Amino acid sequence: MACPFCSSAHISPEGYCESCGRKAPARRDHVELDLGLLAGVTDRGLRHRRNEDAMALATAQLPSGPVAMAVVCDGVSSASRPDEASLAAAQAAASVLLAAVRTEEDLAGASARAVKSAQEALIRLAEPPETGAPAATYLSAVLTADAVTLCWLGDSRAYWLGAGADPVAQKLTRDDSLAEEMVGAGLLAEADVLASPHAHVITRWVGADLRDAAPHVSRFEPPGPGVLLLCSDGLWNYEPAAEALAARVLPLALTDPLGAAASLVAFALDAGGGDNVTVVLVPSPLARPAAAGPEDLPAVASA
Amino acid sequence: MSQPDFTLVVDQNEYLPDGGQDVSAIITVTSADTGPAAPAEDMGAAEIIMVDCSGSMSSPPTKIAQARTATSAAVDVIRDGVAFAVIAGTQSARPVFPRDGRLAVADAQTREAAKHAVAGLEVGDGTAIGQWLRLAHHMFTSDPAALRHAILLTDGQNQHETPEQLDAAISRCQGVFSCDCRGIGTDWEVGELRRISSALLGTVDIVPDPADLAADFAAMMAAAMGKAVADVSLRVWTPQHAAVRFMKQVAPEVADLTGRRAQSGPQAGDYPTGAWGPGESRDYHLGVRVIAAGVGQEMLAARVSLVTGGPSAPEVLGQALVRAIWTADEALSTRINAHIAHYTGQAELAQVIQEGLEARKRGDEDTATAKLGRAVALAEQSGNEDTAKLLAKVVDVVDAATGTVRLKKTVDDADEMALDTRSTKTVRTRK
Repeated sequence: MACPFCSSAHISPEGYCESCGRKAPARRDHVELDLGLLAGVTDRGLRHRRNEDAMALATAQLPSGPVAMAVVCDGVSSASRPDEASLAAAQAAASVLLAAVRTEEDLAGASARAVKSAQEALIRLAEPPETGAPAATYLSAVLTADAVTLCWLGDSRAYWLGAGADPVAQKLTRDDSLAEEMVGAGLLAEADVLASPHAHVITRWVGADLRDAAPHVSRFEPPGPGVLLLCSDGLWNYEPAAEALAARVLPLALTDPLGAAASLVAFALDAGGGDNVTVVLVPSPLARPAAAGPEDLPAVASA
Repeated sequence: MSQPDFTLVVDQNEYLPDGGQDVSAIITVTSADTGPAAPAEDMGAAEIIMVDCSGSMSSPPTKIAQARTATSAAVDVIRDGVAFAVIAGTQSARPVFPRDGRLAVADAQTREAAKHAVAGLEVGDGTAIGQWLRLAHHMFTSDPAALRHAILLTDGQNQHETPEQLDAAISRCQGVFSCDCRGIGTDWEVGELRRISSALLGTVDIVPDPADLAADFAAMMAAAMGKAVADVSLRVWTPQHAAVRFMKQVAPEVADLTGRRAQSGPQAGDYPTGAWGPGESRDYHLGVRVIAAGVGQEMLAARVSLVTGGPSAPEVLGQALVRAIWTADEALSTRINAHIAHYTGQAELAQVIQEGLEARKRGDEDTATAKLGRAVALAEQSGNEDTAKLLAKVVDVVDAATGTVRLKKTVDDADEMALDTRSTKTVRTRK
């Protein structure tokens, strides 16, 4: 591997360039995944030393039509090994979802089982026992021809960004956060959530230390053409409003989900890049966009 | 040869603000305490004692008498098998033992013979320390022993050669042997001996009472006998387009090594640290200027290795990494590293003492009061009690915390010189 900053071929065992001294970027610093039906981009951001967000994407071709699946997890920084936790959780969950989709199981039940397998992955990661049990936010989506099945714990979000004649843009998830609970209890105005010190205090998560947290499961039928957006708080910190997010990615996301996801990540970085940022876009109705890459795209990918 | 294990520990704030270029770190080098060393048998050790035999050593006559006693005490501590010699210094230099100008091998018999020769030391003539150093250099280099150490004792100023001649002799000896210097009485120049000791990686001190000389000589020799590894250097690798701003030893005393750099590779330079014994610990303050990278980026600002064995066959004894990480978080980048702040204060302490004494000699009482007052405050803040005690012999302390002092009307010369020579001694951070 050559140094991306000065092209020197000598990288020290500690990962520093022997010429310019720069730290070689980690593989997870910036990853783009394109599965044709959906695409995602994850980035370390500008403030953090590593990317603790993770995503796992999958597709399936069934007789009833194509299916797209995605899991986004944001490792809890205050727990141990958050980068490993998020990736392990996302990968474990995605494989359960894919198996369930292939055998045409009930998606709500499969979503709950996927959370359980993510939980088990984190318990395995926690052995031998550590002080701060690995933990992450969790968000999964399975999109078929009819509907989206969502399942989440924590504050990674899903949005529907409609593109029809009478477009609707809306947030589909409700954060498990102290701020959101305060809004629910009438103690905090929705508009003040971002400024609140409680904005990022999450109340539920997937982790070795919280074995019985019940995930939220919901179903949403897209009213027309549009795009499903899944993201970590690294994006919505800078733009929480569904309409504004829609304005940023449509109509590009309908035909080029990877390009649109990359542009949303670039927006978050330009706005400050204060956190890791992950964006997954799934155009609906599901179809292989013209802008997609090679024919033999993988069915599963994670980063 | 059994070398002690070395550890290098870096203490720094690795976070820089956007655009920041200056990286600073304290590197603590410690050799494992493997018990009393059986050091350096296969590399061999050599010792030379240089004794001032100029005319002034006879006034009072106890001076030369105590010098003879002290030299004998040092000879007694030389371990069997160590090559050694004694030089009598005047405006020239003369081997006293052995007389043939070679080094003797220490055993019971040669130690007795050496003491006998020392007992017959006579005084007369002037002082040309450069000549003493040149003879020591000649004798050391005619012997294969690699661990070379000398002790130099004088009571007076270097009157019979020019400062340039002394400097030339010092630079000839640099890297060949280390030298601890002692001044007896108050007629010698602190600056002169400090030039020698700092160039030759040794210590300098005043022995105000000749009666204390024997114990001091024995202690110095014992310390020298404890060394196990010779010619140890700190090798500093820096990124391209980066520069070392300074490299200073800061504990147990301040010694600026910046100008002693010897290039050892396209991006590396070596700074000499001399010989090491087991259980030793020294702190170094390194400053590097790098090209700023963007926020969120990380760079290796320096790789510090402890090496021995010379440039042809270097052996790495330990290594530590100094990092730079650029952040937009001011809480991180403005965090003051307590260790660095402490040693910055200790270096300033040494500087203001030397400047204050200088001003006092010139009769500039305002500057002297201000500088020595600042010194009192720094010594108080850092808990450097030894230096605080020495300062209290030169100034009346009104308020130590604020550094309010009055110059004493009369100051014992020996007290002033003790403060000057020991100004570079530092303490480590308070726990």
